[in-house]
Amino acid sequence: MSIEANSVNRRAVLRGIGLSIGLPWMESLAPAAVKSTGGDSNPTKRMAFLFVPNGVHLPDWTPNQFGYGYDLPHILQPLKNVQDDLMVISGLTHDKGRANGDGAGDHARSASVFLTGAQPRKTNGSDIRSGVSVDQMAAAIAGNQTRFASLELGCEPGRSAGNCDSGYSCAYSSNISWSSESSPVGKETNPRFVFERLFGSGKTKERDQQAEKRKLLKKSILDFVLDDAKSLQTRLGKNDQQKLQEYLNGVREIERRIELSNQKPDLNTDLNYPTPAGIPSDYGEHIRLMCDMMVLAFQMDRTRIASFMLADAGSNRSYRQIDVADGHHDLSHHRGDAGKHAKIREINRYHVQQLAYFLEKLKQTPDGPNSNLLDQSMICYGSAISDGNRHNNENLPVLLAGSGGGTIDSGRHLQVDSETPMCNLFMSMLQKFDTPVDYIGDSTGTLNQLTI
Amino acid sequence: MSQLLTKQGLTSVALLIGLLTSVINPAGAETHFSTELRPLLISHCGDCHSGDAAEGGIAFDHYSDSANVQKDFELWEKVIRLIKERQMPPADAAELEAETLQKMISGIEYELSQFDCSEINRPGQVTIRRLNKAEYNNTVRDLTGLDLRLADDFPSDDVGNGFDNIADVLSLPPVLLEKYLQAAENISDAIWEDEEIRRRVFPVESKNETPEAKIAAATENIKLFTRKAFRRPVRQEELARLFQIMRSAWEQDASELEIMKTVTTAVLANPNFLFRIEDDSFPNQDIGSTRALNGFELASRLSYFLWSSMPDERLFHLAEQNQLQDPAVLEAETKRMLQDPKARALVDNFAGQWLQLRDVERLSPDPKLFPNYSKALAGSMRQETELFFSAIIDQDRSILEFLNGDYTYVDERLASHYGMEGVEGEAFRRVSLNGGQRRGILTHASILTLTSNPTRTSPVKRGKWILENILNEPPPPPPSDVPDLEEGGETLGTLREQMEQHRANPSCASCHRTMDAIGFGLENFDAVGVWRDHDGKEFIDASGQLPGNKKFQGAGELMEILTDEKKVAFARCLTEKMLTYALGRGLVSFDRCAINDAVAALKRNDYRFSVMVTSIVTSDPFMMREVSEQ
Repeated sequence: MSIEANSVNRRAVLRGIGLSIGLPWMESLAPAAVKSTGGDSNPTKRMAFLFVPNGVHLPDWTPNQFGYGYDLPHILQPLKNVQDDLMVISGLTHDKGRANGDGAGDHARSASVFLTGAQPRKTNGSDIRSGVSVDQMAAAIAGNQTRFASLELGCEPGRSAGNCDSGYSCAYSSNISWSSESSPVGKETNPRFVFERLFGSGKTKERDQQAEKRKLLKKSILDFVLDDAKSLQTRLGKNDQQKLQEYLNGVREIERRIELSNQKPDLNTDLNYPTPAGIPSDYGEHIRLMCDMMVLAFQMDRTRIASFMLADAGSNRSYRQIDVADGHHDLSHHRGDAGKHAKIREINRYHVQQLAYFLEKLKQTPDGPNSNLLDQSMICYGSAISDGNRHNNENLPVLLAGSGGGTIDSGRHLQVDSETPMCNLFMSMLQKFDTPVDYIGDSTGTLNQLTI
Repeated sequence: MSQLLTKQGLTSVALLIGLLTSVINPAGAETHFSTELRPLLISHCGDCHSGDAAEGGIAFDHYSDSANVQKDFELWEKVIRLIKERQMPPADAAELEAETLQKMISGIEYELSQFDCSEINRPGQVTIRRLNKAEYNNTVRDLTGLDLRLADDFPSDDVGNGFDNIADVLSLPPVLLEKYLQAAENISDAIWEDEEIRRRVFPVESKNETPEAKIAAATENIKLFTRKAFRRPVRQEELARLFQIMRSAWEQDASELEIMKTVTTAVLANPNFLFRIEDDSFPNQDIGSTRALNGFELASRLSYFLWSSMPDERLFHLAEQNQLQDPAVLEAETKRMLQDPKARALVDNFAGQWLQLRDVERLSPDPKLFPNYSKALAGSMRQETELFFSAIIDQDRSILEFLNGDYTYVDERLASHYGMEGVEGEAFRRVSLNGGQRRGILTHASILTLTSNPTRTSPVKRGKWILENILNEPPPPPPSDVPDLEEGGETLGTLREQMEQHRANPSCASCHRTMDAIGFGLENFDAVGVWRDHDGKEFIDASGQLPGNKKFQGAGELMEILTDEKKVAFARCLTEKMLTYALGRGLVSFDRCAINDAVAALKRNDYRFSVMVTSIVTSDPFMMREVSEQ
C-alpha cells in the first residue's frame, strides 16, 4: 500500500478531512449564533451557580425585613458592599431532594438535585440517573456562542474510595452539573488547568502556516476517532451507547471550538493575569482563584455559564483558618447545641465572604460602556439542604446576585410561598438568559417576583 | 401452566398439582419457609401484601411451603433490601420489633442461600469501561515505556460500589476528552524525543532510504502499535483508515515525523484505546444469550484486574493461541501476575479503596489535641497497611491474617508513634507484635484514624466501618426519629455510659449491640491510633460481648473472636469486594454462586490469598458475558 498510488485522489482525500472552504463542516459554523458583546439592546448575559454543602444556620442567615433595605444577619454581613445587587430569596423548596421513599442519603441527593430538581435514582454503581441541570440546559441552547459552552468548577476532587452516602454512588455527591440524565459533568479543581484551558499555556504561537497545518492534522484525527465512536455505537449495547455518546459530544465540542477559533481570533493580548501555580494550600485562596477564573472567563467571553461547588455534598472539611477544628458535616448534626451553631455560622459566613469577593470583583469589571459584569450576570448561590441537622429541603438558603442585564430588580429580600419549587427560579433565570425551556425538574412555572 | 387450565382439564390438572405437591412435600411436612418465615410475613405484611390486588404486586400468600428462590430471587432480594433499609413496613404501619425484624431478615437470607447455582448461568452484563486515571497512567507506561503520569491532571473518577473502576459510573465530560486529546499529543511527542523509547514503540526499521521501504516500515509499526493500544488484533478496515490519515497528512506536506505523530495521536485518542470494549456484534450473538470471552477480552480483564494495566506480550500470545480460556492456564497466569511487580496496582487501587487508604493523607486530626500528627506520619500509616497487604499477596498468606496478623511493618516514625523501641531510620521493616493488643489491620493507625472524628474517637464509626468493610453486614440507617445519641450532651457520663443508655432503646439495640461492642473493643486506641489507658480522667473499659455470648477483654481478644467466629463472613466480604473490583460492576443476586465457590475454595485451602483471586478469575462472571441489549 503505497502513498503515491493514491496521490491522484487528492481531492477525495481533502474532502475526507473536510479541508477546503465551502465543505459542509465549514458551512455549519455560519456565525448566526455569534453575537457581538456589549453596546447592543440585548446585552450579553452570564450565569453562575455556586453550591455549598450541609445547609446553613438559618437564624443567622435569613433577614428579618423584607423588600429593599433589608437587614444583613451575621452570615450575610460580608455582602454589605454588594447588598444593592443582591436578592435574598426565602422559602424555596427542592422536593426531589427529599427521600420520597428512597430512604437515607440526603447529602448525595442535595448535590444531585441542586441544579436538576430531579429525584436521583438510588444506586451505588449501576445505571446512575438524575436530570439535566439548569446550567447545562442553558449551555445546550446558548453554549455555541462562546468557545466553551460552560465551565464546571470545584474545590474538592470527590471521594477517592469507599461509600459516599447511604447507597448513592459518589457521582451524586460530587457533581451538580448534569448534561444528560445519566451524565454528570465532572468538575475541574485545579485553577491552573482552568486557566490554561481557557487561555492557553502561554507557549509561543507557531508561525501561522504551521498552526494551520497542525489544525488540519488535528481535524483528521478528530474525524478518525469520531468515525470509530459512531461505528462502535451502532454495534454495542444500550448502556455502552450512552458512554459513547459522551465521547461523541466531547469530540464535537472540540471541533466546534476549532471552528470558532478560525473566526474569532484570540483576545489574549490584553489579559493581564498570571497563570495560577496550582491548587493553593489555603482553602479561601483556592475558592477565590476559582472565582477569578469565572470572572476572567466572563470578561473575555470564553464562556457565559459556570457552576462551582465550593465543597462536595456532606463535606467534612475542617476550617482551622477560622478556628473550627471539627469537621463541617459532623458539626452540621448539631442537635440544637449552641456551641455547634456558633461554629457552623462561622463556616457559613466564611463561604459567604468568598462569595462577596466574587461579586465585588464582577462589579469592578466593566462590561460595555456603562455597565459591569455583575449587572449583566445572574449568580445563584445556595444549598439544597436547609438545616444540616434536620436535612430538610424546604425554606432553602438561596441568594441571587446581579441584575441579569436589567431583568431583575435586585437589592431585596423576597419571601416566596412555601413549597415553591427552586426550579421555578431556574425557569425564570433561563427565560432572562434568553434560553427559555418548557420545564426543568419539578418546576411548576416561573418566579415572577424577581421584578417589581 | 395457565394454558392448561381449560374447562375440561381443570379438575384433572388440579388433582395432578395436588399429587405432585404431596410427592415433593408430603402434607404436613414442615419447611423452613412454612414454619419460620411465612407466618411472620403474613401477620406483619399480609394486610397489604396478599391477594390479587397486593401492593406492588408482591403477595406473600402466594407462597406456601417455599419462597421459590430459583425463580423469584429478584423479588426476595428486593423485599430484603426494603426491610433492611427500613422502607418496609411503611412509616404509617405498626413498626416491627427489632427481634421480629432480625428474624425476618435472617429468614429471607436463609431462603436466598438455598438458591441452586447449578441450574443457572448468568454471568451478568458489563458496560464498556473507560480507563480510569490509574489505568490510563499504567497503560501508557506499559505501551510506551514512558512513565508520564499524565492522568494525574485529569478530573477525578467518580466512585460507585466503593471503587473508581465501575463502568456505569465512569462518565466522560467534555473537559476530560480535551485532556485525552492533549495527552495523546504529548505522548506522541514524548515517544520521538527519546531514541530508545522510539525504538521500543516502533521497532521496525526501514530496510533502506527508498520511499517504499520507509512506508513499509511505517505501516508495520503502526499495525503493531495499534494492536497493542487496542489490546486486540486490528481489523483490516481500521488499518485502511489509519493509512488514510497518513496519506492525508502527507498531502498536507507533513514531514515523516508529523505523519507518525498524527497517527499515534489518532490511536491514543481513539475510543478503542480509551475504553475497554467487549464487542458482541462480531460473534453475532443473540441478545440475552451468554458467551465466553475471547482470549483478548479475557487477557484485558485479567490484566486490568491484577495490574490496572494492559496485557503483556505473554498474555497477548496466549490469547492469540486461544489458550487463555483454559482454567489451568488462567490459574497459572494469575499466579505469575500476582508475583509481578505490577501487582502493586492491587495494593494501590484495590486495597487503597477497600480499606480507604487513599483517604488517610487527606485526614486532618485536630493539631491542638494531636500535635504529633503530621502528613509524614499519615504517609507512614498508609504505608504500614500497604506493606501488610503486599506481604499477603507476595507470600500468598492467609487472608485471616488481615484480622489477627501478629506482625506489622513500621519505620522509625510509626514505631515511635506506637511506642515501640529499637526501630531507627526511614526504612520500613517487619516487626513482631508479640501477642499484644495490636494485631491485624484493624489496629493499624491508618484505619483507627480513618474511623475517628478530628477531635476524638467514635466507637460507632469504627463499629460501623468494620461491619461494612470487614463483615459485610452494613447496619440499616437509624430510624428517622432517633437522634445520634453519641452526639449528646457531655453531662451524661462517659461515652460508654451514654451508649449503654442508647441501647436501652430496643429499636437502637438490635444494630448497636454489635456495632458498639466492636467499637468499644478498640477504645484503647485514640483518634490517631496511639495506645492509651485513659480517656481524660476515665479509665478505658475495652471489654464487651458479641452475639453468641462471646466475651472479650480488649482489642487482642476481639480480633481472635472475629478470626474464629467470623472467618467465613470475612472471606465472603473480601471476595465480594474483590469480585466487584474485578468486574467493574455492582454485584447482583446470581453472583452469589461465584462467591460461594470462592469461599468454599478458601476454606479448603487455608484461606490463601491466591485462591480467592484464582477462584474469581475462573468464575463465570469473569470468563463470560451476557450479550447486551442494543
